[in-house]
Amino acid sequence: MRSELHFDAVVIGGGTAGLTAGIRLAQDGARVCVLAKGHGSTHLAPATIDVLGYAPDLVTEPARALEELIAARPDHPYALIGSEVIADALTWFATTAADGPHPGYGYTGGLERNLLLPTALGALRPSALVPETMAAGERSQLHRVCIVGTPSLRDFHPSLCAANLAAAGIEARAVSLDLTLERADMSALGLARYFDDPKWRARFCAELSLALRAEEHIGLPAMLGLRDPHAVLTDLEHRLGRRVFEIPTLPPSVPGMRLYEILRAALRAAGGRLVLGAEVVSSARDGERLTAVSTRAAGRDLVYAAPMFVLASGGFASGGIELDSHWITHERVLGLPLRGLPDATQPPAPRFVATYLDEQPLARVGVAVDAQLRAECVENVIIAGATLPGAAPWREGSGEGIALASGYRAAQVVAGQANAKQEATTA
Amino acid sequence: MGTLSTDVLVIGGGATGAGVAWDAALRGLDVVLVDRQDLAEGTSGRFHGLLHSGGRYAVKDPNAARECIGENRILRHVAADCIEDTGGLFVTTSWDDPAYADRFAQGCADTGVDCEEISVAEALRSEPRLNPSISRAFMVPDANIDVWKTVWAMSHGAQQRGARILPYHAAVRIHRDGDQVSGARVRDARTGEESDIHARITVNAAGAWAGQVADLAGIEGVRVLPGRGIMIAMNHRLVNTVINRCQLPTDGDIIVPIRTVSVIGTTDQHTDDPDDHTIDQNEVDQMLDDGEKLVPGFRGARALRVWTGVRPLFEDAKQSDTDTRDVTRAHALLDHAQRDDVRGFVTITGGKLTTFRLMAEETVNAVCRQLGETRPCVTSTTPLPGSESGEHYRLGERLARKEANLVDEQVICECELVPRSKLEEAMTRTSSTNLDDIRRQLRLGMGPCQGGFCIYRATGILHGLDGLTAAQADASLLEFLQERWKGVWPVLYGDQLRQARLDDWIFQGVLDVAHLPS
Repeated sequence: MRSELHFDAVVIGGGTAGLTAGIRLAQDGARVCVLAKGHGSTHLAPATIDVLGYAPDLVTEPARALEELIAARPDHPYALIGSEVIADALTWFATTAADGPHPGYGYTGGLERNLLLPTALGALRPSALVPETMAAGERSQLHRVCIVGTPSLRDFHPSLCAANLAAAGIEARAVSLDLTLERADMSALGLARYFDDPKWRARFCAELSLALRAEEHIGLPAMLGLRDPHAVLTDLEHRLGRRVFEIPTLPPSVPGMRLYEILRAALRAAGGRLVLGAEVVSSARDGERLTAVSTRAAGRDLVYAAPMFVLASGGFASGGIELDSHWITHERVLGLPLRGLPDATQPPAPRFVATYLDEQPLARVGVAVDAQLRAECVENVIIAGATLPGAAPWREGSGEGIALASGYRAAQVVAGQANAKQEATTA
Repeated sequence: MGTLSTDVLVIGGGATGAGVAWDAALRGLDVVLVDRQDLAEGTSGRFHGLLHSGGRYAVKDPNAARECIGENRILRHVAADCIEDTGGLFVTTSWDDPAYADRFAQGCADTGVDCEEISVAEALRSEPRLNPSISRAFMVPDANIDVWKTVWAMSHGAQQRGARILPYHAAVRIHRDGDQVSGARVRDARTGEESDIHARITVNAAGAWAGQVADLAGIEGVRVLPGRGIMIAMNHRLVNTVINRCQLPTDGDIIVPIRTVSVIGTTDQHTDDPDDHTIDQNEVDQMLDDGEKLVPGFRGARALRVWTGVRPLFEDAKQSDTDTRDVTRAHALLDHAQRDDVRGFVTITGGKLTTFRLMAEETVNAVCRQLGETRPCVTSTTPLPGSESGEHYRLGERLARKEANLVDEQVICECELVPRSKLEEAMTRTSSTNLDDIRRQLRLGMGPCQGGFCIYRATGILHGLDGLTAAQADASLLEFLQERWKGVWPVLYGDQLRQARLDDWIFQGVLDVAHLPS
């Protein structure tokens, strides 16, 4: 049995880009449905909004570096989006986060200056916007720090983190607390649930206090609660009498799950729909227009018809773009043409290079778009996020910034086209 | 280290060299073993893991077949814990000459390789993913053998009997005075420090590098022809029995299930340099195509890793040197006292992993002959440390242990179920700061995520245990990342590429390894 559902716009992909596009369209009054095969990058990523961290040297002022990047690389997603929209998207996100489901939990920062936050390895990573729970770890505030972990958490090693911070000139030391837990093996997510409990926090702080020295900031793995991180942070800082901050570590990412909740709540509040577990398996076209996509859901196929679509299904990491065993690259949802592929003529250019940290030739592959982020050949599909060509998100430290700004921009383009169509009809 | 004196100096820590050390130590000789790298890092650690039944050589090389089945039976007893008794199948596919099957059965009968023809239906029942269009199937006692476990067991056994095992010590000079070799000068690859080892007999067990070592001794004409082959590990046990094409040995005709993966092999390219690890794209494509012939849907599985190994083929002047597969696979023992009138020096090369024990036995016999002593070999009846119970390794062992300690034990590498206690024990025991050395002992980072989750954890633990500086720990992590990438990128496609991108997310995104302060 097939049911057909009609929307003003359908967004494919439930990561930061897709959700942002969905929220913005819904806030604009459109009936929107976001279809997601599964969770996007939010649950993996540190949840900081990295706009431009390296170009290729460390970027201290992202606003200025963005202008230079836009001038130098007209094929980069940021060049298509434009610096004004990037700034608007960040402002909008900061407001959305502040109004989100976690009372008092927000993001700080901006495009004027990158914030340098310690990673779990003790490198200092540049981000434009960061959750307030991470703010006290910023390089300029970090003079004396105690990195605290527990052997129960295999995903965080305080001594290595502190040793690398010390190598960067910060007075850093490590404390490992032997927490008595019911399992030898806890994830940051499991520990975050403990931190939601005030009684447990009181015990944790009592034990930690014994190991502290004067004027130290406390760095903890990112696990300061899922339900009410602001309250957890405030409580810890009050009990310990000093600044406390979170350090992102291996997936699943607790701050990433909070980011997802912020975006999901905003979509719901604006009246948008989110369908998880909805993998698009086929699509229908009318000439150069996409008319509908079908998902395979429990027991039946559902057809989602709309005049406009946003494709934010991600790149190679999410499976939105695939390289098959015959070395052919495909966009998997709609079969759209790609840009940025290594030259395949004989002899073919390499897809990868032998040095791991060098830029990999496949890195900048994405769906070919015009200046309006419209897919080539299909006029009513707008591309957002890691599906866009031209960026190397990890090397640039630009993934979340591109996701947010392109999702924001995609919604503008969809709304603009819808308005243009309406005006044409009225005239 | 100063100067060492010993009865026997073994140069080369592969299966043969470690086998010589174990054999000689069991005979009561004092032994020092050196290798330029870690143990079993050369050819031994770079094959598909097959313990031959001899079936592969039953038609083409009956002597090799007889040796293989003989050693197969001995190793199943003395190295039981290193062997998983998978059994093997030879199957006739539609690409194979149907007349070969009867010659194969006859060859097995003539050489004493246990072989039983089973119906195609029965073969497909036991291996449901096998190509259903096969026309014949023969059961043989093929198995898989964990080389690293075997070499480490022999090395530990020899150490318990007083042997000194020195990985990362390269022989840079062989001491020779007239017609007498008296040991070697070695250089510690980690410190650069050089020292002398005086030995009554020096054994050149350098495999594909044996010609280079013989050159150091000024011995001419020891030429080893390296035959390079690639192998690809797929992320599942696509089959649980060793699957061979029933045809004369050729490229891509065998799939070996070992530990958590299946390995397809192999190719054969002549090379002049045993350190040549080139991976040719065409060879990768050929392996994937050959995999499809045996297991339809093979390309749909994830290719985890590709690597090359070099066969040490001792040159026979009568053979052409273009197709190395036609050069004899038999081993060559050169007693230089007889061959060159140079005493105190023995070379063992060629051969195959399955016959390493026999090669070691013959070598130590020659050593004893030169020393003028009679000491009988006991390796065919003495179990390796860990194999005393005579029970074979079972695939589910690690999982069973994990389930028994579900709540109490931390798992650091989920793919290969490596617990924290084992990791810390290995790090303490070997005092190695090289995560790749730890990998070969525990299989750390060898599963589907290729270290994505465990490398950071292992580096953190190593840093905590060893009191390394941040710079040393970071270097160890970056080296391991590069080492993993080396075998990953030439076969990166499909879901394994997604996995690699997730790993990038962790290393370059979350941890920012490219911008460490050191």
